[in-house]
Amino acid sequence: MTTVAAKPENKARKKVRVRNVLIAIVILLVVLIDLYPLFFMYSASFKTNNEFVTNPAYAFNQSLHWQNYVDSWTRGNMGVFFTNSLLNTSVSLVFITLFSLTISFALIKMEWKGRKFFSQYFAFGIMVPVATTLIPLFVIYNNSGLYNTRLGLILVYIASAISFSVYLLSGYMRALPDEILEASVIDGCNIYTMMWHIVAPLMKNALITVVVIQFFFKWNDLLYSMTLISSSSLKTMQTGLLYFSDEFGSKNWGAIFASVSISVTPMLLMYLLLNKMVIEGMTAGAIKG
Amino acid sequence: MSRVLRDRRAILLFIVPGFILYTVLVILPVLWSAYYTFFGGMIGSSKWSFIGLDNYARLFQDKKFAAALMVNVRYIAMTTFGQVIFGLLLALMFKFWVKRFGSSVRTIVFFPVVLPVVAVGQLFTKIYEIQPYYGLLNSLLQGVGLGNLVYPWIGKADTALIALAAMDIWTAMGFYSIILYGALLDIPGDILEAAEIDGCNAWQLFRRILLPLLRPILLTCFVFSFTGTVKMFESALALTRGGPGTATTSLSMYMYNTAFSFQKTGYASVIALFIFLLCVFGARLIRAFDRKD
Amino acid sequence: MFRKGFALLLALCLVLSATYALAEQPTKKITILSIWAEDNDNGILLTKLTDQFIAEVNPNFSYEYELVSADNLRQKVATMAASNDLPDVFVYESGTPLIPFIEDGYVLDITQALTDLGVLDKLDAGAVAILSNLTSTEHIYDLPLGLNVEGFWYNKALFAQAGIEAAPTTYAEMQTACEKLMAAGIQPFSVGGADKWPATRLINAYVMRKLGVDALAKCAAGEMSYVNDGIIEGAQLLQDMCNLGYFGEGPTTVDYNTAANMLMSGQSAMLYNGSWFTQSLASADNPAGDDGIGFFNIPVVEGGVGTLTEYSMNCGNILCLSAAKYDDATAAWLKYMVSNIGNYAIQNSGTLKGYTITEYPETLSNYTIMVADEFSKVTAASTWFEATMDSEMTATAQQNVQSLMNGDMTAQEYAQALQDVYDAAN
Repeated sequence: MTTVAAKPENKARKKVRVRNVLIAIVILLVVLIDLYPLFFMYSASFKTNNEFVTNPAYAFNQSLHWQNYVDSWTRGNMGVFFTNSLLNTSVSLVFITLFSLTISFALIKMEWKGRKFFSQYFAFGIMVPVATTLIPLFVIYNNSGLYNTRLGLILVYIASAISFSVYLLSGYMRALPDEILEASVIDGCNIYTMMWHIVAPLMKNALITVVVIQFFFKWNDLLYSMTLISSSSLKTMQTGLLYFSDEFGSKNWGAIFASVSISVTPMLLMYLLLNKMVIEGMTAGAIKG
Repeated sequence: MSRVLRDRRAILLFIVPGFILYTVLVILPVLWSAYYTFFGGMIGSSKWSFIGLDNYARLFQDKKFAAALMVNVRYIAMTTFGQVIFGLLLALMFKFWVKRFGSSVRTIVFFPVVLPVVAVGQLFTKIYEIQPYYGLLNSLLQGVGLGNLVYPWIGKADTALIALAAMDIWTAMGFYSIILYGALLDIPGDILEAAEIDGCNAWQLFRRILLPLLRPILLTCFVFSFTGTVKMFESALALTRGGPGTATTSLSMYMYNTAFSFQKTGYASVIALFIFLLCVFGARLIRAFDRKD
Repeated sequence: MFRKGFALLLALCLVLSATYALAEQPTKKITILSIWAEDNDNGILLTKLTDQFIAEVNPNFSYEYELVSADNLRQKVATMAASNDLPDVFVYESGTPLIPFIEDGYVLDITQALTDLGVLDKLDAGAVAILSNLTSTEHIYDLPLGLNVEGFWYNKALFAQAGIEAAPTTYAEMQTACEKLMAAGIQPFSVGGADKWPATRLINAYVMRKLGVDALAKCAAGEMSYVNDGIIEGAQLLQDMCNLGYFGEGPTTVDYNTAANMLMSGQSAMLYNGSWFTQSLASADNPAGDDGIGFFNIPVVEGGVGTLTEYSMNCGNILCLSAAKYDDATAAWLKYMVSNIGNYAIQNSGTLKGYTITEYPETLSNYTIMVADEFSKVTAASTWFEATMDSEMTATAQQNVQSLMNGDMTAQEYAQALQDVYDAAN
């Protein structure tokens, strides 16, 4: 009796096991696809220029060519570029979250006449691509002295992010129960304390989502910084990385990958430290469409 | 309650700073751009002059513009669908397959998002490499006996755009997977259990239960991805510089060159305006799906 | 003791001259916009000589060195000019791109300024001829930062291996050489197709041999169509060479630097390049050593008008001064630079920059001697393919050359596309 019953069960178990192995292989592949380029980048950053020509790109290093890092840091100004990128991005992120939080709150929860018009007014900007505003921006900046300044770049980073972030936050804001606001008023909150102590903490996950999305856009910006910045001391990493080509477009691959590594490593460390918050914030928040 | 929420001064304080920035640096330039379209030459130069609708007339005869538009549309289609669909697949994998090391796997899948796009471009140049040595992709193909598929992926017009889209999908799919995974977690477990008891297979479960529930968020993901892909500039510049020929030259790149290197501000503004219309059209199209039910 | 005293005296002199200078020399800060990093190529030249100028002549002088990528140079300078804010000194491209600036009076008349300063003779006459020819002006408005001949460089060991005894002097011989190399399993050429200009140079080489050194200038002047035998045959030849595998797989993906390294490391037998290449060749990193690479001028085309003493030449990227910001302090700097660039460059990098040289170093690398030898043969010069084209046409020529190499475009279409842009603009 037991043998008869056990057979199909064994089969099923075997099936499950095969399935599990297959699943594990798929997961492993996904992880590899995401990790390999990183490994490649670090290995390439220690190769001499000659190695790129005499050996396949995926080959292991023949040398530990530290000089690439020296070149990248001193000649490539990577330290400066990285600081610029980090500064521009983080300062604009602070204001983006601040403005989009207050604006979406005013538009959704507060009671005033023009709010319907202003909702549409702010929504309009979602459809304005970077390229459309570029030429007039250049002229405006040139005439107002904002051209080639850090402030100028940060201002446009903030302005271009407002629409989208307000749109995102509005969804969450609608889902925020009015009763909570009412209760806080009864507890004696004024509008500012309510904003700071009640609304902002409740919107934490939504704000994390905004920050992550906007980080993605600002960190990768090339169009604005290419157009509005000319000094090497103000350039961002993206423009900096395009640098390692001289008069005839020659590329120093080793130094390029050293610079790439320099730019990636701190981000990676920061991300590993913060990833719990980022991923949890984004998943727990789940964007309200 | 409403006394607090009607606080005029607070409303002003909340709205005005953002409003000013947004108006001056986003709305005003759009209008300004529209104004420039009636001028010829380079702004600031002696040739800058009113030419009426000539720039618009030129647009319809410009083969390079048409080519750039086609590139943009194909890129948007491939990349947007690729990013969201692969994101969805990854999210489903997280939810139903990944049992152990879940958070580590999610962390790793998300990480390309933090890489600078230009850096990714340099990286993929080497992955697609064919001369002097095969890069990773070509050596892999050769290694598994598919040597006849070895190809200069970013060097030929028929594959360069696909290679570019593949790179951008790789970069961003982790981002969408996390958003969609969050949405999957929000789906109550008993709905899934009930479906299983009813004898739904995996496909039915996905088609009948998950997809309808995920629809609003999928649409949001499409909007995100669309706004990212419509500008198509950074990654194309880093990987292929618009080449070979004009195979990966997008509208934004064409506009940028027209404005800053060919020095035709007015004509570039027409292209800029067109990109804006493309954006409006795309957003409408995505919203149309939203209203279907 | 004597030494110590001498040092003391020297220090005293320095202090004295410094205080003297402080009292007399004008304070000035200039901006130099460049495409070379401070420790690379002409970047070294510009910064080191300016530092010397500050130390020796005017301690109140200072400078900011700004870098822009070569791809971005035209755009950057054009926008700065539009806002009337050109840097005091900037690197730019010679020829056509410069003409509007000359017409609008944005850039300094160098011939005039150097005449006023009495140092016009410090410029190499050949370089001056090239520059004035490029802008079709009597005076020059830019300073050369190089004086280069272009042609084919070949790996001697690979030629020997394939049994090629002499460098080709006709296109037919070059074809035979390619076949021999292919038979020996050697890639005949490498080309930086990803950077585009190395590929258009190959068309240019054919055109100047077929139709003469002034063919493209004639096209630009409207005296000849771009749809001519020279361009069509040259483009066809390039396409055929791609199809035959002479450039290896996927030549449109190879960057210039990789192509050059391939020649030096023996992975390709030939490369078209300019004499600025000697700097890499003479470096200790060159795997081919100090005698492994040879040079031959563009071979002649049967039935063509070009000869072996005509070269493709250029002055590299050039240096301009803003007319609006030019003053006595900058003039002193200009005088110092012009007087010292020639000697500095030959002594420190073994390169020619287009200035008269009075002090040669004791030892010159083989490659420098080789190039100097070529210079002595020049009877007439052509410029590069895009020299007479505006930026829109340059973009067309360069984008399409990739399509041509890939077979997405015929040679006829390539020439026609150039003519179309020309017609639209004129």
